[in-house]
Amino acid sequence: MPLSFKVPIFDVKNINFSVHSQHILSNISLEIFNGEYIAIIGPNGGGKTTLARMLLGLDKPTSGEIKLYGKKITAFKSWDKIGYVPQRASHVDENFPATVQDIVKMGRTSKRSLFSRFSQADKEAIEESMRKMDVLDLRDKMVGKLSGGQRQRVMIARALASNPEILILDEPNTGVDMVSQKRFYALLKKLNQEENITILFITHDVGVIADDISRLFTINQKITICNSPKETLSCDEMSALYGIETHSIHQHKQHEH
Amino acid sequence: MFEIFQYDFMQRAFLAGILIATLASISGTFIVLKRYSMMSETLAHSALVGVAVGLVAGYNPLWMAVVVAVLSAWIIEYLRSAFSLYSDAILSIILSGSLAMAIIIVSLGGAFNNSLFSYLFGSILSVSSEDITTILIFGTISLVLLLLFSKELYFIAYDEEVAKVSGVKVKFLNFLLVSIVAIIIALSIRVVGSLLIGALMVIPTISALQYRVGFLKTVLLSWFIALVSVIAGMLLSYSFSLPSGATIVLCVIFIFALSLIVNKK
Repeated sequence: MPLSFKVPIFDVKNINFSVHSQHILSNISLEIFNGEYIAIIGPNGGGKTTLARMLLGLDKPTSGEIKLYGKKITAFKSWDKIGYVPQRASHVDENFPATVQDIVKMGRTSKRSLFSRFSQADKEAIEESMRKMDVLDLRDKMVGKLSGGQRQRVMIARALASNPEILILDEPNTGVDMVSQKRFYALLKKLNQEENITILFITHDVGVIADDISRLFTINQKITICNSPKETLSCDEMSALYGIETHSIHQHKQHEH
Repeated sequence: MFEIFQYDFMQRAFLAGILIATLASISGTFIVLKRYSMMSETLAHSALVGVAVGLVAGYNPLWMAVVVAVLSAWIIEYLRSAFSLYSDAILSIILSGSLAMAIIIVSLGGAFNNSLFSYLFGSILSVSSEDITTILIFGTISLVLLLLFSKELYFIAYDEEVAKVSGVKVKFLNFLLVSIVAIIIALSIRVVGSLLIGALMVIPTISALQYRVGFLKTVLLSWFIALVSVIAGMLLSYSFSLPSGATIVLCVIFIFALSLIVNKK
């Protein structure tokens, strides 16, 4: 089917966001289609997280319009289609009384009907998402006792428990070791390619996933959309425009070839 | 020791104590996990305004306490969402403001007497059958609502934003939780007193958290600790002629200290 006939999951038109007359986002327009794997990069304070929060309905744009599955975001109700893993995902309060299973069940909470306990389908979805994220063996462990990488996988499992069609991840790698990060990137690739889950990934580490992603958004108050990540990776003017260290991307590429 | 159960007023006292221990500890779990501990203190003082109005105007102080505490909870919740930076200061303002209002109302109305004193420090032995009925009705409604929404409330306590994104009605449930807590506090002040109810809401959960177990076990443990404290506190207060509310609070603090020592890393 030609691209133009598809309804985008996210359809963002000319959104602006300012706080105390300071522009955080200026005139952002973008579309995100089913099955895409999009990485968002940009300097700290450039507006990446703000954009993600607007796509999730947590913040409202000062002007402009956001549509989800063709509906205005204010009228959108099917939030279970969207899985969200926030920035602080791997920083959990160690005293919070939660086992891995308790956390993953949260992801299924809004699916359950009010007067019922979790159904068989709920339980299966919870178990399946723990299996996908390889945390099934840890189900009865307290989440405060897990390593950063394990916690990160638990948080993704929670996001997957509602069987979302799109996953939005906001730099969930902070405080996670390199080995776990690589494993995590492999999991994201698998979710995108095998489960056809659309992924929107805010990251600093675009070089490692360059071969996996379909498009790259660069956000620094304004947006630059690069339809071919490979073209972007050789795009030297990016650092001049956005102040992003692009040499790390080249280094990754050189290591691989 | 068991001769105490021969008396009707002691039977009522134990029944009221067990009901309040159940309500305070279960609702307290959500309050503590949401970092709303100070909320219980504030609402307990707001409830006093209702008691004062009731005493002066001749209405049932318990009912008035419920009304004022719920209104106060809504005001706090609204102010917290509108001025999120200063939420602890808002609690502090409402706490001292309520106490000031309560004192002025009772002193103007000439009701500064033992009945106010009994709401400040609790007077479990003077709990009437009517009080028990009120506690049973409102307590059952509160408990059913808490259990009905326990999964959502737990999710909100863990991560409010992610809960919101996944479709949980966060705003409504936050209002519901503070309303339930306000009702439970208003019901409890007759038993443990408004100066002490905060302890019965917060300390059982804080003690249970020391054992580092999952959510359900934490709720059950917190309930158990509250029950043991209330029963032990009442038996001790009977045996040694001590004030019941204060004895209950010291018992729960003792269990907290034990839990800390047992679970020391």
